Amino acid sequence: MQTQPPDAIDLGRRGSRLLGSGGGSAGRVALSTASTLVVLAVVAALFLLAPGSAQVRHTFLNPSDMWHALIGDPAKGYYSVGEAIWLNIRMFLVAEALILILGLTIAVVRQSTGPVMLPLRAAALVYVDLFRGVPLILVIYAVGFGLPALELTVVSTQSAAVYGVLALVLSYSAYVSEVYRAGINSVPLAQTAAARSIGLTHGQALRYVILPQAVRTIIAPLLNDFISLQKDTALVSVLGSIEANRAAQIYSDATFNYSSYAVAALLFLILTIPLARFTDHLIARDRRRRLAGGAA
Amino acid sequence: MRQARPGLNRRRSVATAAAVGLGLITACSSISSSNSTATSASNTATSTAAATASAAACSNSAIQPDLNTKGQLTVATDSPAYPPWFENNRPSNGQGYESAVAYAIAKQLGFTTAQVKWVTEPFDSSYAPGPKKFDFDINEVSYTAQRAQAVTFSDSYYDVQQALVALKGSLAAAKHSPSELKGYVFGDQIGTTSLAFINGQIQPTQTPKVYNTLDDVKQALDTKQIAAFVIDTPTAQYITSSEIPGSVMVAQFPSTGEHYGLLFAKGNPLVTCVNQALSALRANGTLAALQKKYLQVYLTVPTIKP
Repeated sequence: MQTQPPDAIDLGRRGSRLLGSGGGSAGRVALSTASTLVVLAVVAALFLLAPGSAQVRHTFLNPSDMWHALIGDPAKGYYSVGEAIWLNIRMFLVAEALILILGLTIAVVRQSTGPVMLPLRAAALVYVDLFRGVPLILVIYAVGFGLPALELTVVSTQSAAVYGVLALVLSYSAYVSEVYRAGINSVPLAQTAAARSIGLTHGQALRYVILPQAVRTIIAPLLNDFISLQKDTALVSVLGSIEANRAAQIYSDATFNYSSYAVAALLFLILTIPLARFTDHLIARDRRRRLAGGAA
Repeated sequence: MRQARPGLNRRRSVATAAAVGLGLITACSSISSSNSTATSASNTATSTAAATASAAACSNSAIQPDLNTKGQLTVATDSPAYPPWFENNRPSNGQGYESAVAYAIAKQLGFTTAQVKWVTEPFDSSYAPGPKKFDFDINEVSYTAQRAQAVTFSDSYYDVQQALVALKGSLAAAKHSPSELKGYVFGDQIGTTSLAFINGQIQPTQTPKVYNTLDDVKQALDTKQIAAFVIDTPTAQYITSSEIPGSVMVAQFPSTGEHYGLLFAKGNPLVTCVNQALSALRANGTLAALQKKYLQVYLTVPTIKP
């Protein structure tokens, strides 16, 4: 193994690595490439040589069916999966913004210490216990079928996507508030003491000292939750809105060919993989900054 | 429920023959009205000859090698199994049209009632490749040429029409001319070709909502998430008379030549004998009698244009 500068070794150990420890030398790259190719070849051979391979490829991965599912043809009874994914993206973006706000609010309430805040703290506790404990699909059903049944003016006349986003926000903000809370708890108590000692109020200490450090710690788990959220937008299909997963299901039921699901899976991958790489990037950047000793 | 795609009628007869591997072409391919008397007559003519030719080949002992499990006829349907096709969600009670038809076919093939075993098969997985756990699936599955590329269908055991269901006193119940229909938000159960009917025939301006189960569709109508839904006439009649108080079956639409077929694994040779059994049941009036017993309520429904 070649000698490397100490900081490079350190970064290599700590960062997200694909190429093995210390990676870099030409020999190692060649070896890892070869082993990857061998593994892929074995998997491909197993798939292609299986007795039902041709049948499976026709039923699950047929290019013609995948194309038709992507494009859609309502007159034939199925919708474009490519168009339907836009609904997932819109629901995800709106839900994510609301979840970040609500989750943080709940976490801050739960971390509060004043006696006056007790009722709110109790409410936050119950909220988190309730919505983290109940399966998301049940929340979606309760919101999507329950609120319209109330026959109220505004509350009961929203579209399925709105109810879906509401259910996602209810469920995910409970999770995310716990992630925030873990981040806040990870900041040493001495930081709060120091902030208060230089004259910051409790709120200012939270805003300028605690949260900036807390959020940096939890970027990875937060984005992890959001990748999960992107996929869970598919559950909103139970309320009748035609998102990517539902469009794929409609295609397969109309044609008895499952290739449409492969299309939906690919589209979801296209959405989630960039977010995953972005997470890696943020983590690596944060590591570099900390190692450099920067406070920002 | 899971009806055929309108517009495929012309190709149906060719595809059926190819898929089934028989010259027994269903008379349904040329149905253009709901009149089933004409159907029975022409079907009887074609099938009697075929039945006589190979009656021996379809004895109970002769079909044993083709069965999923020897000594029993394994029949599948989804759960929940809805009326009037099944009753009390218990396919094995012989009640409801599809349950009764399954037992009638079993009898034709020489099985006793006790030799008929029911298994649950969700619609979504009934057409998956690979070995099936049933001899045939009876679940209001409509024949289409495209579906017949993945599975084998029997001949028709019911020729189906679509109907419009709405709440009494709602706009959709009162105004349903072809142009008025286009303005409504429709609902549908996933996997039905009612969706193809809505989009292909009614062509509404707003995207229909597609739910997991019929129960969700009913709930959506009840809470006014949708203005109306489209479903096969017998189910519509049952829902409006027994399940959703205040709902009404507004009318039925003209036939598009759709029919329900039993679903077999692709190429399952058993279909030949089951088709013979169906022909015999049609010829001796059993199918008509069962339709009268379980589905007759719809016979006087007005027809409107989509």
